[in-house]
Parts: sequence; C-alpha cells; structure tokens
Amino acid sequence: MKILFKNIDMPGLTSLSVYEGQGGYQSFKKAFAQKPEEIVEIVKASGLRGRGGAGFPAGLKWSFLAKDVFPRYLVCNADESEPGTCKDRELLEKNPHLLIEGMILTSYACQVGTAYIYYRGEFQHAADLMDKAIEEAYAKGYLGKNIMGSGMDLDLYTHLGAGAYICGEESALLNSLEGRRGEPRLKPPFPAVEGLYAKPTVVNNVETLSAVPWIISEGAEKYAAIGTEKSKGTKLVSVSGHVKKPGNYEIVLGMSTRELIYDLAGGIRDDNKLKAFIPGGSSTPMLPADKVDVGYDYESIQAAGSMLGSGALIVMDHTVNVVEATLRLSYFYMHESCGKCTPCREGTRWMWQILGKLQAGIGTNGHVDKLLDICDNMSFKCFCPLGDAAVGPVASSIKNFRSDYEELVKKLQGGAVSV
Amino acid sequence: MSDDNQVNITINDQPVTVPKGTLLVDAAKEVGVEIPVFCYHEKLGPFGCCRMCLVEVEKMPKLTTACTQTVMPDMVVRTESPKVVKAQQGVLEFTLLNHPLDCPVCDKGGECPLQDNTFKFGSGTTRMEFDRADNDKVTPLSPVITIDRERCIACQRCTRYSDIIEQEQALVMLNRGFKNEVHTFCDEPYATRYSGNVIDICPVGALTNTEFRFKARSWNLDNAETLCAHCGCNCNMTLGSRTNKLMRIQTRPNDLVDDGWICDKARFGYDFIESEDRLLEAGTVVGGARKKVNALDAAVQVADSLSKIVDEYGPESVGFLGSAYGTNEELYLYQKLFRSVLGTNNLDHKTYQDTPGLPIDHYDFLNVETANLVLLIGSDPAEELPILDLRIKKAVTRRGVKLAILNDQKTALDKFAELSSTYNVGADGAALSALANGLAEGGAGDESVTGISAEQMKSLVELIRSGKKVCVVYNPASLTGNSIHMLKHLLSVIGKIPDIECGAIPAAPSTNAVGAMDMGILPDFSPGGTPADKGLSAMEMIDKAESGELKALLMYRSNPVVDFPGGKRVEAALKNLNLLVVHDMMETETSQLAHIILPSNGPGYDEGTTTNIGGRVQYRRRGLNTKNLPDWKIVSKMINSLSEEPVEYITSFNVTEEISEKVPGYGEINKKSIRKEGKTREPVTSVNGSVPQVEKVNSADQGLKLRVATRLFTRDKILSTSSPLAHHFLPSTVNVHADDAAKLGFSEGDEAVLSANGAEVRAKVEISNRCNPGAVIVPMVADDQGVQGLAGGGSVSWVEVKKG
Repeated sequence: MKILFKNIDMPGLTSLSVYEGQGGYQSFKKAFAQKPEEIVEIVKASGLRGRGGAGFPAGLKWSFLAKDVFPRYLVCNADESEPGTCKDRELLEKNPHLLIEGMILTSYACQVGTAYIYYRGEFQHAADLMDKAIEEAYAKGYLGKNIMGSGMDLDLYTHLGAGAYICGEESALLNSLEGRRGEPRLKPPFPAVEGLYAKPTVVNNVETLSAVPWIISEGAEKYAAIGTEKSKGTKLVSVSGHVKKPGNYEIVLGMSTRELIYDLAGGIRDDNKLKAFIPGGSSTPMLPADKVDVGYDYESIQAAGSMLGSGALIVMDHTVNVVEATLRLSYFYMHESCGKCTPCREGTRWMWQILGKLQAGIGTNGHVDKLLDICDNMSFKCFCPLGDAAVGPVASSIKNFRSDYEELVKKLQGGAVSV
Repeated sequence: MSDDNQVNITINDQPVTVPKGTLLVDAAKEVGVEIPVFCYHEKLGPFGCCRMCLVEVEKMPKLTTACTQTVMPDMVVRTESPKVVKAQQGVLEFTLLNHPLDCPVCDKGGECPLQDNTFKFGSGTTRMEFDRADNDKVTPLSPVITIDRERCIACQRCTRYSDIIEQEQALVMLNRGFKNEVHTFCDEPYATRYSGNVIDICPVGALTNTEFRFKARSWNLDNAETLCAHCGCNCNMTLGSRTNKLMRIQTRPNDLVDDGWICDKARFGYDFIESEDRLLEAGTVVGGARKKVNALDAAVQVADSLSKIVDEYGPESVGFLGSAYGTNEELYLYQKLFRSVLGTNNLDHKTYQDTPGLPIDHYDFLNVETANLVLLIGSDPAEELPILDLRIKKAVTRRGVKLAILNDQKTALDKFAELSSTYNVGADGAALSALANGLAEGGAGDESVTGISAEQMKSLVELIRSGKKVCVVYNPASLTGNSIHMLKHLLSVIGKIPDIECGAIPAAPSTNAVGAMDMGILPDFSPGGTPADKGLSAMEMIDKAESGELKALLMYRSNPVVDFPGGKRVEAALKNLNLLVVHDMMETETSQLAHIILPSNGPGYDEGTTTNIGGRVQYRRRGLNTKNLPDWKIVSKMINSLSEEPVEYITSFNVTEEISEKVPGYGEINKKSIRKEGKTREPVTSVNGSVPQVEKVNSADQGLKLRVATRLFTRDKILSTSSPLAHHFLPSTVNVHADDAAKLGFSEGDEAVLSANGAEVRAKVEISNRCNPGAVIVPMVADDQGVQGLAGGGSVSWVEVKKG
C-alpha cells in the first residue's frame, strides 16, 4: 500500500506537468465544493496523526484554532533533524508538489492566507526545488489570489533555518521564523491560539501535510481502513544502522518491526545478531532485540517502552558497544540543547562528561547510578521535550544494557586501565 | 465563592483565595509559602526557564513551574512533597554545577538568591567531579556594568528586561546550550538610560556595578531609604554607604512612583557628592577675596543686609531666585523669609511661565497605565524624566494604551505613538489653541502657523475624542510665552467633553518643580496656589537688576549665569547688585560673583520632602553625614534673626508640620503618612481665568528659530568629566532640517557657528528632520556649551547659523 511514495521514483515528478499527469492537483474540485469545516472533519475522521514525532491527531489540532481570529498561518515543519530521520527530505526532493497540494488543502480547511515551509538549514537543495515548484504552482493559479475561482487566496514561502535541532520544536521554529532566537516558547498559549506573529497558527510536519491530498481524494473512510485501530494510514520509516538495505520505506502502520528489518531492509549486515534498535529516532528509548516482534504503530511501540516518534528505526547489531552509542547520542543533545532551561543545559553536558568517563573505562558503578539519578532530575522537568529526548537514550541504555556499562566498569576494577 | 474573579485553591493544605490569573508563585506568598525562583520577576512576567519553582499540582501528570501556572479553581498544590524536594535539589545541583562558588569575593554575597535558595532548598553537597566551566570573569558590557560570565545562570532576566521594560533589545543571549552567554546587541556598549537595573535584578553576581565591584560587603553597608534628586519622578532608591562614603545606589521599588526601576543618572550620577567643586564653607567677599565665616554668622549677616536694603529701598528692591532642586522645607522657609518677613513677592524658580493647579485632575503615574490615551505635549520623557518614559512604554506595549504626541521635536517615544504631530518651533500656543478649538467646535488652525496639517489635527481631535480616559502629560518648560494659559485652556476643554475622564501630569523635568510651585516660589502665587500681588519673575528680576531697581538677590541653588537665557547680560546684571547671596552646594559661575556665600548640603546629605510631578510627596532621607548645618537651619536662622516671634525647628519634620498647617493641599502630609509610599497632596485648584490670545511669534529678518533640547546626561556641575556616565556625553551638535540645510549649503558633519545675543556656539551639523523647517534644535550637551546664552528669554529665540 503506497500513498506518499506511490510514484516517488518517477522521473521528472518535481515538475508540475508530470505531477499532474499522475493525478496531482485533482483534489481541489472536491475540496472547494465543501466548507472548510467539513474538510477539517474529513481529516479528523481519517485518523491522520502528526508524523513529526508526537503523533497528535492532525484534524483535532486544526480544530483548536482560535475562532474568528485572522490572519491565520500554516507552517510546514521541514526542519527534519532527528538523528536517523530522512523521510521528509525524500518527499521534499522528489515530490514537492504533493506537499504544496497538501498545504493548499490544509490552508483551505484552516482558512489560512499565508503559509511557510521551514526547512532545516542544510536543505538548500530541497528548498531550491520547492521554490521552482511554487513558481509553477503560482503560474498555474494554484497559489496566489482566488485559487481556482474558490475565492481563496494563498501565498506560500520557503524559509531556511540556521542549523539548530531545537527549531524542529514547533514554538522554537516559530521564533526562528520570526527572526528571533530559536528557543521554545511558553505553552500555553499554544500555536493554534497564538503562534506565528501571535496569530493562530497550524504547524504540521511534511509527511502529515503530504497525506492530506490522498485523504481528500479517496475519502476519510478509505484512509481510516488502513492500519490499526488507533494508528491509521501509512507511515514512512527511515531504516538505518546495521541493515543490508537502509532507506525510507512506506509501511502500513502495525507491520511488525521484524518484518521491517528482516524483509524490507534485508536483514542485519553480515547476518549478524540484532542487539538493539531505536524505533522512532534518537529521542526514543532504545529497545533490546527481544522486542523485535513489536508492531510498528504508536500504541504497540509505546507498550513496549518506547515511542514511534518520527519513524526512524536505528538498528544496532551485536558488535555495538551500547555505551559508546549512547555517548555519541548524548553529545548530540548536549550540542543541540538551546540552553534556555537549567536541567537540559547543564544535565546534557554532565551526562556526556560522565558517559565519556565510563566509555574511557575509568567510570564506576556509582557513575551509572548517578546517570540514572540525573535522568530522573531531568525527566519531565525541562522546559521542552528536548530534555526528555536527551534522557531517552541514556536511561533506556542503562535499563536494557546495564551489562555493557558493567563490562567497562569491571575493566577499571580489574586494573586493565590505569586512571 | 460568588465572586467570579476570585479563585480558591489550597497550597500545602492551606486554603487561599486569589484573583483569577494569579500565578501560583504569587498565590503562595499570600499564605506565607515561599516558592524559590531565579528567572521569575514580577515585572518581567512568566518565563519558566530556570525550573527552580517546580511544584506538584494534583491531577497534573508532571511537576509544573509555579511561575508560569495560573491558579485554576480548586487546585491542590504541594510545594514540599518528596517529589518537589527532589526536583528542587536537582535543579539547584544543575544550577550550581558550573557556578564558580566564589561567594567570598562576590558582590552579591549576602543578598544572593542563589545563596539563599541553596541554603533553604539545596542539598548542601555536590556530585560534580569535573572542572567547572571556565569563562570570562571580567567583561565590561558598558563603562558602568561588568559581567562575570562564570557566575551567570542564564535566567535571562537581563535580556528580558532590555526587551520588555526598556524596549531596546540591547542585551541578547548568544550561542547555544551550556555555551550560551549574555551579550550586547552587535557588541555595541550597553548604553541605555536605564541599564543599571539589570544589576539589581540579576539573581547572582554576574552583572556587577563597575563602580562598586569588590568595594564592600553588602552586609557592611549602611543603607538609607531615600529618593533620587535628579528629575521630577523622585524615584525611590537605597543609598548604601560605608564609613560615610557612598558605595552604591540601588532600586527601592515603589510601584506608585518608579515601578521598581531607576535610571542610570540616579544610580551612577553621584560624583558631585565628593566633587572638588563643592561649596563646603560659608564665606564673605571683602575686597575681591573670599573670607571663611561661620555659617550661622553668615546667615545673620545675610538677614541683616537684606533687611537694611528693604528699609532703604523698599521690599521691591530684594528678590529670591530659588530652584526646583530644593526640598519643600527649604523652599517653604525661604518663601516665608521673603514674603512674610521681608515683605516682597519677588520670588521665582524658573525662567518660563507657569501657574499652579490644573483645571482638571492632577494625575499620578498610575494613571498613565489606566488611561486609554496618553497625550504627550512638548515633553521628551526619555531625556527629561526617564522613568516616566518606561511607564509610558509599559502602558503602550503591555496595557494597550494609545499614545498621541504633540511636540516641536521628534523624540524616542514617537515610534510608540499612534499619532505624532510636530508643530513649528515657537508655535506651541497656536497648536494648542488649534487643538482646543478643534475639540470644542471643529477647525484645524492655520497650518502655515502651526505646521500641523488639517488632516493631522483632525485625526488628533478624533483620537482624543475616542478616549474614555485621557492622561495629558505636558512639559511646562517647553512652552513659550504665555502658552501655559493656552495649555490650561486646552485641558479644561478636554475636561468638559462628555464621557471623557481627563487628568494631567505637569511633567517639568526638575526634581521638585511641583513642590516649588506649591511652596509659593512664584511671583504671583503664595503657597498652595493662593493668588498674590504679582512680584517680579525670574527674568524680570534680571532686568531690574540690570536697570538698578533691584538691589539684592538671594540665589538658592540657582546658577543664572549659565542656566538663564541672555548670556553675558545676566552676568552683567548680577554684577550690578548691591548684594548677591549665593546659597549653593557647588561653586558655580554665579557663586563667583557673590558677596556672601552659604553652603548647601544637597542630595545625599540633606533631608526633607519633595513633591513629584504626580503630586506625590515623599521623604528624602539623609544617606551621608555632614558636619555642615542643614539648609533649613540656615534659613530659619535668617528668619529668626529678623522675626519678632522666632520659631525653633528641631528637625526638618517640624518644618513639614508647619507646611502641613499652612500650605493648602498639604494638610494630610506628615512624617507618618508619607512614610512608606509617600502620599499625594491635595491638588491645587486652578485659577486659570480667561482664554488668552495666541501670541504672535516675533520674527527676525534672518536666521532660524532656536529650540534647546534637554539631555539626560549633560556635562555640568552634577555630571563632571570624571563621572562614570561620561561615555554618554555628546559633542555639541545642531539638528538642521534638510530643507534649511539645502538653503544654507550645509552637509552632514559640517561645523556650524550659531550666533545670537552676542553669544556664539559651535556645533556639528546633523541633518535630520527632528523639527519642522525654519528652526534648529540644539541639544544641551554641557553647561559650558553656552547654548542658553543664545536664547533671549521670554518667547521664541532666533539664531543665525553660519558655516564655521
């Protein structure tokens, strides 16, 4: 079942004519015949959930917009920075018109007149492609004034970030888009009430918005029939790490992780043993190999002790030293903490320092316990989810692979490493 | 609870009822529960970055920050549960992780929230085993503020202050994560007018007062709760001294006056206290040489000499030039000496016309925030009354108040204004008259006279009419000729518009301008605005001294040689006097001419009440000891030596008591009633009568009209070249309108010579449309710049502007 990746490898798909030849931009007629609120209801009924990481129902998010307050904004979050995640990039580079169509539909549903796509700083190429696609869409009358005679106006702009992971957090993204420092904002007010320029704003991920045209064309019921009871539709999964065929795969939610790793991604490299996997991007807790049969959907992964997140499956085989992997991940969070709140700013660095000691073989069991306590002092006490994300790999690696840590501690006790 | 605006919650099992919208951290205070904070400051609003205030709220899955969470009905809050205690200890451990712990030498030691919170809520130990972050210890952000980056805990109070309160965004966070740092925008010096407040709100010793750094321990300071004496705001401040040396000045929040802030002039502008130019001894000049005498003897001599001159030439032959820098007590006693004892009404304290009382309410500062519209007339608060400037910015940016500006020059507040109209220099009377007529019966005045288009005038009229509550803020010192009467007419017109509540703040820049009027230092009004037979005004006294009709003048903290229009003419007039007494705290150009000199203590050493422009009377406490007699003792000695019924005052409050008894409006003012936040005196009723005619602006064949603009940081007797604020001093400049510059052939940066009255001032040309064509603006940058010498006094002055 392919929705987002149906024609993804078709040559020339980035051009409007090829995209239209594949049935693109056909959803407007159906959409514009209905009231905006009805479109919101359709998306609600489809069960589409935000694909950026939190999995919040998209239609419900739209319905939270402050009533009768205008202008409103739509912002597409294309700041794809979660380690392991590269699905949005493929959509953006290969099928930009799908996103444009999705954003036009969403703007219609949410009565938005101005929309932005916020790219991570490194996505210059994708943004250039998008600028061309936007130009074509304006020329064709899909953007601009009175789109297709619907009376709807929409301007669409691209904006490149300056290279900060935190700007993938929606309120930090809005700050950055406004030209302010990329730091998360206090919530409430949520963006739906006071977002960009303090006006009601919808922020959705590239993949989420790209799913909207299909839902409008094919109907909510058809979408809702795909997947599990609560995880509807298809999901792009970026499979990386020690697999034979890393890449982006569109799956029906609920497929087993084993199938994903062993069938779609061709199994573990050199037919090694699976040791661990991170199911939903670096921020989600890592799971041991025995959880590999977990269904790849929001609820099942949560029940297994992790999260589906942005759908980045990182696979580690038995050659991996989990402490070393965690050290590298903790460096990322230290480097990307914006520094606004104390526990994240100080805690990420401290954890990295301690992990460095452990990895160097000069740590003790006390250090491992201290790490757990630091995790506890950070968990749910930071300003935004980045702090919790930083805790994820550390706490889960100790929980599931404490033996790896103890192995390194023993080295010290055995005198193998001089301090 | 039937009241919809009240919310009931419990905190640590104690019930508390607070208004809707109250933050948990503030609600807790109501029941004596302390929730520790670093980043939260009530003036800056919720932010939630330091995480120190985490509390447990029933039914909430996570701990929540009490500084961002507002009260919800029936909330059950715990601030001492094991979960909260663990979180507090955790956050403190994180906060201290890379903090240098150099408390023994830190300026903040003893008054440090980080110390206090650690003491009360911390674990007392650390598990940090790595080297602490190594950051710069001494980085000047400006000549007066030095940052210690190791101590900074990144609470962002200072950056938010600069953004929210100052509206300057002069301080910003740079870099990310544990490398984030407070910097100035684009590495420019942090040179706003109110920068020093960040020192007070910094919860650690990161932002330090460069003047105070490492000078004293806070607990060793003697702190006097006193007032600033620089401008008419009368902000509350704490003067900290050690062994009778002034060490530092800090804010002492009084929401009714300063909203918790002071400007940099208040904080750093005190080097006059120990200036070499201070007048510390009484003296008499015999044969051109000054001879030291006992101050009381000198006072007696002054009284005798004045009385002899009165006997010989009549009471009209003596006069008193006071200043708005004295306290009410000092000014009241001088008023008593001259009016009651010597029998003259020749008293004044200013060179412009002004009359006490308003035909509408006399508003206090709070009304700036509660109004719908602030109408600012001829006032430049940023340069004249900085803390009023902050209050207006607060009103506009956070209270939804609209701002309309009517001025002859563009000011820094223009960008906050809904509407800003610039009238021609000298056309204030015409502009005010046009506005009054527009409000009363329509019409827009003559644009060729006022410089304001009919369309703009109409918009201004509509804006005023749309306001439910209008707060007029005007600077009487910027009005020319008899325009003050036109202004009072305008106020009464606005006051009569149905459904509009209106009041005004007479925003005269000097410290105690309202008090000086209330105390009757006016030629035509006795204390409390009681009309009196008109004596000579300040400028008339100079005229009469010149003509020889006035024989004696007593100057109380007034320096006409420099400060009065007229230049050399003033000096010549003073030299013409039989007796010139100067009672001042500094040697001035005028004291050099005096026959008898009396030392005045001045701010820091003096004590007494002052009345701010909002009509609030407060007590200025003595912060430093002096062997010199208080000014009021010297004046009362003069009175008693002449009076048949001497009154002995033991303390300055005895004089306050007499003011309370004798001065209308001051009946409720006494030591007790003004103790905490001060007390507003009863407003004086306006005696403004008929509507005046607009004075025709005198014209000159050539030249341009002159507007002297006030600057906060002027190099003068108060701020010398060695002042820590010297970096604010500017060279002499003249703002020329582009049209005039084209006519005169000026380019930006050209040297210009301005001449009038036989005086000359050199200035660099700045081509800016700060005023309408036909006039130049010269900012008063120094007292020896000589710009007042260009002015003729009275109405509009003309200057010839040539290439230098």
